[in-house]
Amino acid sequence: MTRVPTRERGPYVPQQVRRGVSGARGLLERKDLLRLLDDGVSKRLTVISAPPGSGKTSLLRAWAGRSTNPARVAFVTIERDQQSEQRFWCAVLDAIRNPERPFDAAPPPAPIGLEVGQVIDDVRSEIAELVGPVVLIIDDLHELKSADALAQLESFLTTLPSSARVVLSSRRDPSIRLHHLRLADDVAEIRADDLRFTEHETRELLVGSAINLSDRGVAALHQRTEGWAAGLRLAAISLNGHPDPERFVAEFSGTDRAIGEYLMAEMLERQPSEVQTMLLRTSLVDRMNGELADLLAGRSDSERMLLALEEANAFVVSLDAQRTWFRCHQLLAEFLRLELRRTLAAEVPDLHRRAAGWLADHGDVVQAVRHLVAAGDWPDAARLVADHSFRWVLDGQAGTIHAVLLAFPEGASVDHPDLALAHAAAELNQGRLEEATAQLALAESHLYNAPPDRRQRLAVAVASLQLALARRSGQFSEVIDLVGLLDTSMADPSSEPSVMGSELRGVALLNIGIVETWSGRLVDAERHLSEGAALARTIDRPYLEVACRAHQGFPSKLISVTTARERAHQAVALAERYGLDDRPIIAPALGAIAGTAIWMGEFDEGERWLGRAWQVASAQVDPAAAVLLHQAAGMLHAGRGQKQSALEAFTEAANAQSLLTGVHFLAPRITGWLAATQARLGLREEALTTLAGFPADPQRMGSGAIDNAQAVICLTDGDPAAALAVLSESRAGATAFGPGFILIEAHLLASIAHLRLGDRNAASAAAEAALATAERDRVILPFAMVESAELLDLLLHHETAHRALLADVLNLVGGTGADREMLARAEALSPSERRVLGYLPTNLTRHEIAQELHVSINTVNTHIRNVYAKLGAQDRSAAVQRARQLRLLSSRLVPAPPN
Amino acid sequence: MSVPPGLYTIRIRGRLGATALSAFPSLEPELRGSDTFLTGLLEDRSALFGVLAQIEALGLELIELRQIA
Repeated sequence: MTRVPTRERGPYVPQQVRRGVSGARGLLERKDLLRLLDDGVSKRLTVISAPPGSGKTSLLRAWAGRSTNPARVAFVTIERDQQSEQRFWCAVLDAIRNPERPFDAAPPPAPIGLEVGQVIDDVRSEIAELVGPVVLIIDDLHELKSADALAQLESFLTTLPSSARVVLSSRRDPSIRLHHLRLADDVAEIRADDLRFTEHETRELLVGSAINLSDRGVAALHQRTEGWAAGLRLAAISLNGHPDPERFVAEFSGTDRAIGEYLMAEMLERQPSEVQTMLLRTSLVDRMNGELADLLAGRSDSERMLLALEEANAFVVSLDAQRTWFRCHQLLAEFLRLELRRTLAAEVPDLHRRAAGWLADHGDVVQAVRHLVAAGDWPDAARLVADHSFRWVLDGQAGTIHAVLLAFPEGASVDHPDLALAHAAAELNQGRLEEATAQLALAESHLYNAPPDRRQRLAVAVASLQLALARRSGQFSEVIDLVGLLDTSMADPSSEPSVMGSELRGVALLNIGIVETWSGRLVDAERHLSEGAALARTIDRPYLEVACRAHQGFPSKLISVTTARERAHQAVALAERYGLDDRPIIAPALGAIAGTAIWMGEFDEGERWLGRAWQVASAQVDPAAAVLLHQAAGMLHAGRGQKQSALEAFTEAANAQSLLTGVHFLAPRITGWLAATQARLGLREEALTTLAGFPADPQRMGSGAIDNAQAVICLTDGDPAAALAVLSESRAGATAFGPGFILIEAHLLASIAHLRLGDRNAASAAAEAALATAERDRVILPFAMVESAELLDLLLHHETAHRALLADVLNLVGGTGADREMLARAEALSPSERRVLGYLPTNLTRHEIAQELHVSINTVNTHIRNVYAKLGAQDRSAAVQRARQLRLLSSRLVPAPPN
Repeated sequence: MSVPPGLYTIRIRGRLGATALSAFPSLEPELRGSDTFLTGLLEDRSALFGVLAQIEALGLELIELRQIA
């Protein structure tokens, strides 16, 4: 069997497609309808709702293909049975970016690590950036089966940029609420009655197809088809070259057969038998090229036949400018499939198998799985799904797994560990952890029934998913066994030679590394993440590489603060290079940069990176990463002396930590700083409760942070001797953790305690010890966090071996004394005063502000007076300027809480 | 929400041929006048909507749908 080589798909030339769909091949240019659509798109939304065969798509193609269109037209045809909102929005985005793409072209694979909300935002901004008007046509909307996608489309329509128009075409009224648009008279509708051919058009159509028919014949044909476009087209094909057209019409008019079926049967009957067979055998696939058609039909000239059918307008259309891909009109395809099952039933399973093989070879796994299921080959289908699950997750197409699984009968996963695995991956991706756990347990229970050659691989897949699950739910302590299993089974690369094996391994390394990072085993994390990143690079998986690198920006025994910061920057740069810098997975790197900048006293720089981290983090960030970001926000506020805001941020961090089953490596510091901040704000009882709630760790990991907080409480209690006693262990370095941060803090607190005991020499020695520890990485945040006027005074007259560092410290802590005082006053702004302050930069009058806030003008006046007094401002612009300096009006450091 | 199994009659414009009828294997066809009546037990809502979708996909004209038992 000769195969027609697949031709390269080249650029699309509108005129060529126009030739394909307009008068040149017997399709009527329906001027009235085109005008109707022109009128329609003067409104924001046009809905075309009519049964199959009404001529919706033909109208849209003819309209979109006109060279006179003033607007840019983006044409999206929804794939059959589309379940994935990702794929849908990617297709929309692609159509808007590349209006020259063929109408029916399959959308490119969704980009890696994709967030639907981001894609929709991109669609909006692409439209907004275009100069002229845009018309977005969405054809076959009834094929969109994702409720989420429909809901997103609904909200997209209500916030449509004013330069955009949307045309929705569907067999049924779309299940989208349009009442707002309707009320605003922003919806035009075109329905079946509008699409019907008039008798005049019927005649034009026949004349255009060179068919001679009497007036009576035309009238009878029009009456019998009721102007139904598909009926007329089918009739025209059968009439073309018919020896006795009048008799055909008379017979057709006289029959009481359902007209669609009658005309399709007639049309098929008039084709040569080899064409009939080819059409029947290829009816199982949604789209085909010559090669696939040859494979199914067992011929070598299918492409020629398909081209001829398209020329004859026989319900076969090419999908690209080169005319290499074709599809049947859906109505005819439906009929052909029935006819195939009726007349060639025995061949059907084998045809499905052949189609599946070809599609899988050509990368269309989703369709391949559907055909295997249709052929009854569930085990093969299940294996195909399981083998691709990890790849889909890695490519950000986890939604695809869910879509493919719908092809299997309910409960099929009970018998197939592969399917249970794929289900688990899909559930995990959607955050349904309990369901994922159940499916994983099911897969695990099947391990021993699996054939030996497959068992090992299944075991690794199960363990890898368990690890991902543990990572999501923060069960840090429970992953040790899994790590052991994966380490041994992956140590021997020969056991998994395929690229697929490498992907599985890469994902496992990433998950191990992330868990180890958050649970503070940074040396192990370093090993696993480096290996994962290197592997990802070898197998060309940018998302995986970026994900690994994004978790390597933390200092440890082996990695200095400077190196960690440099690495985090490199991770971000890498993400930027791959266009992945807006994904939640990069948040830890951004958070790490922010954190180190804040440690080094670069507060503005830290604030900028933290803002960026929150921007990408979105709602889907792992709770463990959220802990990091809240903690950084707390440090920033504490460093700036904004105790109230620091308290809020540390509380958020503690809340995020409580979502984790395991203990985050930052947990002791967060608890300690939260308690210290509470103590400094005079909330002694709360501080003690915070410390009491921290689980006692027999290994005293990170207990220095807790001791430091105890010391702060002792100092505020007026008991410096007790503070020194608490600090002795930390200061000896026994519990030092991380880059000396806690140790520096302990020395500084001890210095304050000595001062209060009147021992200036001991205080100086402690301060010098703090400076010595801080020197290497220039960690100066602790000096700002302990905020003590007496310590500042000591430092101002301090003789030190670390002059440059001390200068930096004094610059940070001492140079902003006036600001600090002002800040303390600004912190005293009440919530209502802050709300009013938020309106001062706007040009709203006091009356308007009162209306906005639903309060009286007197209330607003009082608030504004208080705001001026607390900010030391004389007028509105001075107040705004002062508030900006004090960052009371800067961008938010933490996202608004959900709900 | 689930609809108990029911006996339904579906009336479609025109006489259906063997091909179109093969789309409704579980329903019994009967020709009355120039319309086709398909009658049969439909297990639940999904089965019912499955039949309706098939009618739509074949471009058939649905005239009436009735549950008779």
